[in-house]
Amino acid sequence: MKKVVMGNHAVSYGVRASEVKVISAYPVTPQTHIVELLSELVANGEIDAKFIKVESEHSAMAACVGASAAGSRTFTATSSQGLLLMTEMLHWAVGARLPIVLTNVNRAIGPPWSIWTDQNDSLSMRDVGWIQIYCESNQETQDAIPQAFKIAEEINLPVMLVLDAFFLSHTYEIVDLLETEQVRDFLPPYNPEIKLDTNDPHSFGNLSGPDYYMELRYMIEEAMNDARGVIKRVGKEFGEHFGRYYDMVVPYRCDDADLILVTSGTVASTTRAVIDEMRDEGIKIGALKIRVLRPFPFKEVSDILCSTKKVAVLDRNISFGNHGVFFQEVKSALYGKTDIPIIGYILGLGGRDVTPKVIREVADKAIKDKNPEPYINWIGVKR
Amino acid sequence: MSKQIKFDSYREMPIRSMTLDNMLWNKTGSWRNVKPVYDNKVSPCILGCPAGENIQHYIQLVIDKKYKEAWETIIESNPMPAVTGRVCSHPCMGKCTRGDYDEAVNINAIERTLGDMGIDNPGWMRESEKTKKQKVAVIGSGPAGLSAAFYLARAGYSVTLYETEKALGGVLRWGIPEYRLPNCVLDGVIESILNSGPISVKTETVVGKEIKLKELEDNFDAIFIGIGLMESRKLGISNEDCEGVESGLEYLKRVNSGDNLDSSKKTVVIGGGNTAMDVARSALRKGSDVTVVYRRTQAEMPAIASEIEEAEKEGVNFRFLAAPKEIVAEGGKLSKVLFQEMELGEPDESGRRRPVPLEGKTFTMEVGRLFTAIGERADLDGFGPEVDTEWDLIKVNGEFGETNKKNIFAGGDIVTGAASVVEAVAAGRKAAEKIIRVFIGEADPPKQEETEFGIENINVDYFTKSNRTLNPRISVEEAKKGFEEILTGFDEQLLQKEVDRCFSCGVCNYCDNCWVYCPDTAIVRKDDRYEIDYDYCKGCLVCVEECPRSALSIEEEGK
Ligand SMILES: Cc1cc2nc3c(=O)[nH]c(=O)nc-3n(C[C@H](O)[C@H](O)[C@H](O)COP(=O)(O)OP(=O)(O)OC[C@H]3O[C@@H](n4cnc5c(N)ncnc54)[C@H](O)[C@@H]3O)c2cc1C
Ligand code: SF4
Ligand code: SF4
Ligand code: SF4
Repeated sequence: MKKVVMGNHAVSYGVRASEVKVISAYPVTPQTHIVELLSELVANGEIDAKFIKVESEHSAMAACVGASAAGSRTFTATSSQGLLLMTEMLHWAVGARLPIVLTNVNRAIGPPWSIWTDQNDSLSMRDVGWIQIYCESNQETQDAIPQAFKIAEEINLPVMLVLDAFFLSHTYEIVDLLETEQVRDFLPPYNPEIKLDTNDPHSFGNLSGPDYYMELRYMIEEAMNDARGVIKRVGKEFGEHFGRYYDMVVPYRCDDADLILVTSGTVASTTRAVIDEMRDEGIKIGALKIRVLRPFPFKEVSDILCSTKKVAVLDRNISFGNHGVFFQEVKSALYGKTDIPIIGYILGLGGRDVTPKVIREVADKAIKDKNPEPYINWIGVKR
Repeated sequence: MSKQIKFDSYREMPIRSMTLDNMLWNKTGSWRNVKPVYDNKVSPCILGCPAGENIQHYIQLVIDKKYKEAWETIIESNPMPAVTGRVCSHPCMGKCTRGDYDEAVNINAIERTLGDMGIDNPGWMRESEKTKKQKVAVIGSGPAGLSAAFYLARAGYSVTLYETEKALGGVLRWGIPEYRLPNCVLDGVIESILNSGPISVKTETVVGKEIKLKELEDNFDAIFIGIGLMESRKLGISNEDCEGVESGLEYLKRVNSGDNLDSSKKTVVIGGGNTAMDVARSALRKGSDVTVVYRRTQAEMPAIASEIEEAEKEGVNFRFLAAPKEIVAEGGKLSKVLFQEMELGEPDESGRRRPVPLEGKTFTMEVGRLFTAIGERADLDGFGPEVDTEWDLIKVNGEFGETNKKNIFAGGDIVTGAASVVEAVAAGRKAAEKIIRVFIGEADPPKQEETEFGIENINVDYFTKSNRTLNPRISVEEAKKGFEEILTGFDEQLLQKEVDRCFSCGVCNYCDNCWVYCPDTAIVRKDDRYEIDYDYCKGCLVCVEECPRSALSIEEEGK
C-alpha cells in the first residue's frame, strides 16, 4: 500500500512490519515522531511488543541490551545528543554481540545548540562496531529496517540506520508501505541459540583476562568482514521480494566520468540532478553514493573510483584536525591503487542547505582544483 | 588442582564473553566465571626425596627459627638426617625448582645441619607412645632395620634388633669411611634411635644360623628383615684367592674398625660404585698409589658424582674401558694383572651402554694389591625357603615390604639390590607403618597425587638470582692426610642464608602478596590462613597471577 508519509513515520512502519518485540526509546528532536508513532502502534495493538519508557537514552539502550540479550528483536531510535548519551551502551551492544537496530536521525551536535542536520553525531560512533547504513529517501528509511534486522541477526552485530534531519525526517514522500505478512517471508523470527534464561542462568559480558580479550575483539572484526557479503546478499534478497534492490554503494553515470563526486545521505539525490545538468553540457562527470560506511566498502569504492581521473568527496561533517570522515575513508580505500587527485569539500554543516547550486559550485571548483591545495575546502563559509 | 579453561583458537570460544556453565549457584550476580582457591601443592623436592621428607615445610620452619619443629618434621619420615645429610645422593635437589632458575637449594646441607642439631639436643626426641602388647623382631641394623625399629618403638611396640656384627649401623658402620660419616655422628644417631622407645639389641647374633627364622616367627607378632648385601661379588677369574687380592668391603671393614694396614705402593680397585670410591680414597689415605679400573666410562659410573670428583681431586687415577682378565701370581702372591680393553656397545636393561671386549687388545699392570668392588650380594642362608626369593633377593609385594608370609616384611638392599641409604630408610619406615596398620586394623592411606610443578609455576619476578651456599670444607690437601671429615654443616648464618633461597613451591608461606594485590579487598587475612570472600571476588585472578609460588589455583565456576 502506498501512502504519503514523513521519513520518521516510514521508519515506524518499517519497525511494525518487522515484528519487533521490544522498543525502548527516549524522545529527542528530530526523531520524536518515530517513537511517538511506535508507542501508538504498540498501544493500539498493531505491534505486539513491549514499549519500555525510560528516563534517558543511556537507559534506553541499556534496556535494549537487556531485551536483546533475552532473545527479543529490539529497536530504538535517537539523535545527536541522545546518541552521545548512549555511548557506553552502544559499545556494550557490540561487545555482547547483540543484534539491536537503531535509527539515528542525523542532527548537529551542540553547543551551539542546533536541531538541524549534519553527520557528526553518527560519525562520532564510527569506530564502535555498529554497522552504519546511510539512507537517502523515505522509502529507504523504511526498507532498511527489515534488512537491518536480517543482517544484524545473522552476524550478531547491531545496526545503525541513519537519515538526515528534516530533509528526510520531516519531509513527506510517497512510500510503499511494507506488510507484516510479506516481510515474514523475508525476515524469519529471531530465535537466538544463546540468551538470558532464568532456567539456565549464565553470566554474560563477564571478565576476560588478557588471554582472550583479543580473540573476542578479533571475532567482532571477523563479523564486520562477513557483514560485507551479508549486506549485499540481503539487499538483493529484499529486491527479489519487494522489487527494490539495495547495495553497499550506488554509482551514477560513473562509467566514462573524468570527475566523480562522492556523497552520502540526501545530498546524493541533489547531486544526481546536478550530474544530469552537467552531462547535458557535455561535462564527463558522475556521482558515487556511499550507502554503507561500516563495514567500509573498500572494493566497490576503489573499483569505481580507480577508473576516473579525479575524485571530489562531499562531507556533511568534519573530523576536527583531519578533514571530513568520508574523505578520509575514500582516501584510505584508494591508497596505493591510483595516483588521481582526491579532493575533499566540507559543506552543509548544522543544516545549512546543500542546494543544486552549491553542488554545482563544488563540481566547478573540483574541475579546477588540484590536490592537495588548499588542504580543506570549506564551501560557503563566510570569511 | 582444578583445570583452567583453555581455548587454543578463537573458533572454540563463544562469540560473547560468557560463563560456559550455569550460574544458578550465584545469587548475587557476578562477572566471575572462574575463581581463585587456596590450594597448596606438593613441592617437587618432596616428591624427589625417596623418604618423602617434607622439605618445603621444614625449610619454612627454619626461616622462622623453629629448629626443633623443623627437626621433628624430618624425623616424621627419616630418623637419621645427620646420616643422609652427609651421604645421600640427594635426588631431592635434582628436582628442586630453583635448579631451573639458578642453582638448586642445598637441601642436603640444611638437612645435615638440622640432623646435627638433633644429636646436640637429645631432649628434642619425644617420648614413645605407651607400650603396646605386640612385639616385633628386626633383623639387621643397617638404615632399613634402624628405621623400622625407630618407627615401631616410637609407636610403643617392643622391638628386638638382631645384628651379626658387634656394632650397629650396617654399611653406615663398616662400609662408609669416617671422612664422610664420622663414627661419633653415627653413634649419636643410633643412640637417639635406641632411646626413642622399647628397643632391645642382640648383637653378634646371626639370624638363620644361631636363631632360626621359625623361632622368631613363634615369638614375635611380626618380623622385619633388613639384612642388606653382605658378600662381595667375585671376579670369576684365575688366582682370585691369592694373597694381595681382597674384597673392597672386607678392606673397608678393617679400615673402619681401625686396623692399621701396611700400604703397598701400587693399588688397583676394580669397580665404579660408591664402594670402589670409598676403597680407593681410603687406600689413598693409607699412602697407596691408587688406580680405579672401570669397564665402562665415567658417565656410566654408579657412584655419587661428587664422590668421583673428590677422588679425582685427591689424586686417585682412573682407567676406563678395561676389565681384569687374568691375575698373575708368583709364589701364591699377586704380581701382575692382565686387563682386557673394552668399548661401549648397545645399552643394556639398565639403560647404560654395555661394555664389549675389544678383540686382541690387552695390557698388563704390575699390581701390589687388588681390591674388588664390583657389587655385593645377599647371604640368604636361613631365609631362603622360609620367605620367597627372586634373583638372590627377598621378594616383596608392593611398597610396604610384604613378603609371602603374612607377618614377615623386608626392605632395604635385600629387596632392591644395591641401592641407597635413603631408600633403605624409606623402606624401613613404610614397612613399620604397615606393620602398625596391620596391628590396629587400619586401611592403607591413599597414594599421594603426583602434581606437576616446575619453574613455569614460579613468578620469578619476585626472586633475585643467587648461588647455592656450599658446605664449608677442609682443603683437598688436608683431607688426603687422614680420615678427618671433609665437609662441615652450616652455622646459623649460612643456614638462614640458604633457606632464604627456597621458593616454597606451591605452598603458601603467608607472604601477603595476594592480600595486598586483590583490587576488591576480597581476601581476608586470618591468623593462620587467608579466605576469599566470594561475594566480592570478581574473578580477576590477580591474586593467582601475583602469588610468587602458585599456592592458589583456578576453579571454573558452576562446576
Ligand atoms: C661402601 C659403600 C658405600 C656406600 N655409600 C653410599 C652413600 O654414600 N650414599 C648412599 O645413599 N648409599 C651408599 N651405599 C649404599 C647403602 O649403604 C646401602 O644401600 C644401605 O646401607 C642399605 O641398607 P640396609 O639396611 O638395607 O642394609 P645394610 O646397611 O647392608 O645393613 C644390613 C645389616 O644387617 C646385618 N645382617 C645381615 N645378615 C644378618 C643376619 N643373618 N642376622 C643378623 N644381622 C644380619 C648386617 O650385619 C648389617 O649390619 C654404600 C654402600 C657401600 C657398600
Ligand atoms: S634424604 Fe636425601 S633425598 Fe631426602 S631430603 Fe635428605 S638429601 Fe634429600
Ligand atoms: S625451591 Fe624450595 S620448595 Fe621448591 S623445590 Fe626447591 S627446596 Fe623444594
Ligand atoms: S601470594 Fe603469598 S600469601 Fe598469597 S597464596 Fe601466594 S604465598 Fe600465600
